[in-house]
Amino acid sequence: MATYDFLFSSLGLTKWCAEGKSDAPMSMAALLNKSKGTEAQTQSLWDVPFPSMDALNDSCAAFPQSRDLTQGLEQGFLAVKDNLSIVLDPITQPLSWALDGTLYSMTTTPWWIVIPILLAVVLVVTKSWKLVGFVASSLCLLAFIDYYEYAMQTLAIIFVCAFICVLLGVPIGIGMSRNNVMQRLTIPVLDMLQTLPPFVYLIPLIFLFSVTESKLYGIAIILYAIVPVIRMTNLGIRLVDPDVIEAANAFGMTSRQMLYKVQIPLALPNIMAGVNQTIMMSLAMVVIASLVSAPGLGVLVLQGIRNLELGVGLVAGLGIVILAVILDRVTKASLARINASQKQ
Amino acid sequence: MDRDIKISIRNLYKIFGPTPDVALEYVKQGMGKAELLEKHQHVLGLQDINVGIREGHVTVIMGLSGSGKSTLIRHLNRLIEPTAGEIQVDGENVLTYDQDRLRNLRREHMSMVFQKFALLPHKTVLENAGMALSVRGHKIEAFEAAAKKWIARVGLEGNEYQYPHQLSGGMQQRVGIARALASDSPVMLMDEAFSALDPLIRSDMQDLLLELQDELHKTIVFITHDLDESLKLADHLVILKEGCIVQQGEPQEILMHPNDPYIVNFISDINRARVLRVRSIMKKTTEAPDNVAGDIGERDNLESVIALSGGDTSLVYRVVRKGQQVGVLEVQDLFKALVPTESPEGDTRSHY
Repeated sequence: MATYDFLFSSLGLTKWCAEGKSDAPMSMAALLNKSKGTEAQTQSLWDVPFPSMDALNDSCAAFPQSRDLTQGLEQGFLAVKDNLSIVLDPITQPLSWALDGTLYSMTTTPWWIVIPILLAVVLVVTKSWKLVGFVASSLCLLAFIDYYEYAMQTLAIIFVCAFICVLLGVPIGIGMSRNNVMQRLTIPVLDMLQTLPPFVYLIPLIFLFSVTESKLYGIAIILYAIVPVIRMTNLGIRLVDPDVIEAANAFGMTSRQMLYKVQIPLALPNIMAGVNQTIMMSLAMVVIASLVSAPGLGVLVLQGIRNLELGVGLVAGLGIVILAVILDRVTKASLARINASQKQ
Repeated sequence: MDRDIKISIRNLYKIFGPTPDVALEYVKQGMGKAELLEKHQHVLGLQDINVGIREGHVTVIMGLSGSGKSTLIRHLNRLIEPTAGEIQVDGENVLTYDQDRLRNLRREHMSMVFQKFALLPHKTVLENAGMALSVRGHKIEAFEAAAKKWIARVGLEGNEYQYPHQLSGGMQQRVGIARALASDSPVMLMDEAFSALDPLIRSDMQDLLLELQDELHKTIVFITHDLDESLKLADHLVILKEGCIVQQGEPQEILMHPNDPYIVNFISDINRARVLRVRSIMKKTTEAPDNVAGDIGERDNLESVIALSGGDTSLVYRVVRKGQQVGVLEVQDLFKALVPTESPEGDTRSHY
């Protein structure tokens, strides 16, 4: 006799319950009880179980168990999976090409070309020789301990993913800033993306795409890292001085002129702060994504955990820290330059 | 209606709230601002405004904060949509304009100067001054000359390539004025343009505006909460209180004949000798008086006449316009005029 028998009998559902299949697998607790022979003891009030799916199933075999819920979800996902891949595969294929192409070109181009190009980029965006010197010595250190290729792989993935985040995130942010309905609909999605544990992204993606495809980790990184750039673009545009907006209106700007001549330039410091966060978050995710075959320093960290190679794991971790510091300093320096030219 | 009326505002109402149309009916039935707010949670912004703004004149709209003056000026270029009423510019009802025509009106016919300057912080002074032209689609090479001309005209020569944050408040507002002038629009709307500036610079800017106006004869609508400023600038003065027009007319006329205790209270603190002009208090006559002490101009203020007379109340002056006598001023009358006028209802100042 189970606790909630009275519920079904009082509702007159006994017959419906009896129709339920009785060959459902036995739960662990029931099995233990049975083996101990302590079944059907009178329960004290202290032990009354919460009327959960499993507890109700005890009283009524027709009632679904909680494992049916997870199983149903899985079945449902598997059922739509094939159709979903038909749509998603071609759409996301360019991501694979971009990742593979960048990985290939950054790792096969000789170091004496790649490093000067990277330094030149740093110089252009920051106009600071000090920072160029810092980046140069960091890269040389990584190359000296033979981590150059791994570092370049990580950088290549970050460049591609952060670029796509900006490409998608800024327009979404602009859309949110112009439309309150869109903002209300988007914010819960962003909240979910931001709080969902990073490992959870990987589960459905593994089912959707083959693990050998680079877009698998690309999508995971983009989903995880796109949030700040969307949020900051939306916020930045909403924070543009309303007096300036009014003046632009009073001089008859079209909404396109307003966007390109006033809103985006004035929101640029905030957008750049979002880009900085996006880059840092894609670096965090690229390590986790090594679980699903993303190359780079994350693979070494994983190797360190798996094989208990303490030294490899620690040095790879240090390499990631160095990359993080480089990326952060460079984006912050370019942000500071934008800020300086726009003081209110 | 006069031919030289440039902008005519007729029976304009503005009510803020979720259902302004319903609230409008209550207002038309005579419900006041406080009652409307309490019973229907609507704010009465403007109530039955009728103003004719004359071409080439400076019309000053004055009122304290919350009187609806900034709301009113934003109706002229429809930055705010009215609840009811009509706004005619050159005889055309602006409220019937579609987006394109409205944009054209804002680009070609009306420019605006703002209290907080509202310059683009990421553009140079030159680009800011040429903003109206760049909005019309001109390239910087095309408007550079015009923008430079106006920057020089407002006294900012040499600052063309600086950014707004490098300039002081007064200089920034000069850029704001240059921006409005460079658009070459016949109407200039000035929303508390000088209120954020300190008194000395404000006075400089007022002089600059009057000087420019002598030359350009634009139709200027000027908003202010400062009575001295409005008396200095206005050809036509409109006084607003809680969304209604209390009195409008020539400023001297309002000073001499205030029709409301509110205005009496308002004007009681000003220096009448400096603001009042000879023509407002003289006796109009072309007969030459006896014992003329001298000639004075009709636009002279009373302060200068007092200085001239040395305080002797027995003197009589001839008032002349371009060498012709237009009136006579006895210094005795002058001193009487310095006592603030009582309103028709008697002294009600204690109510305020």
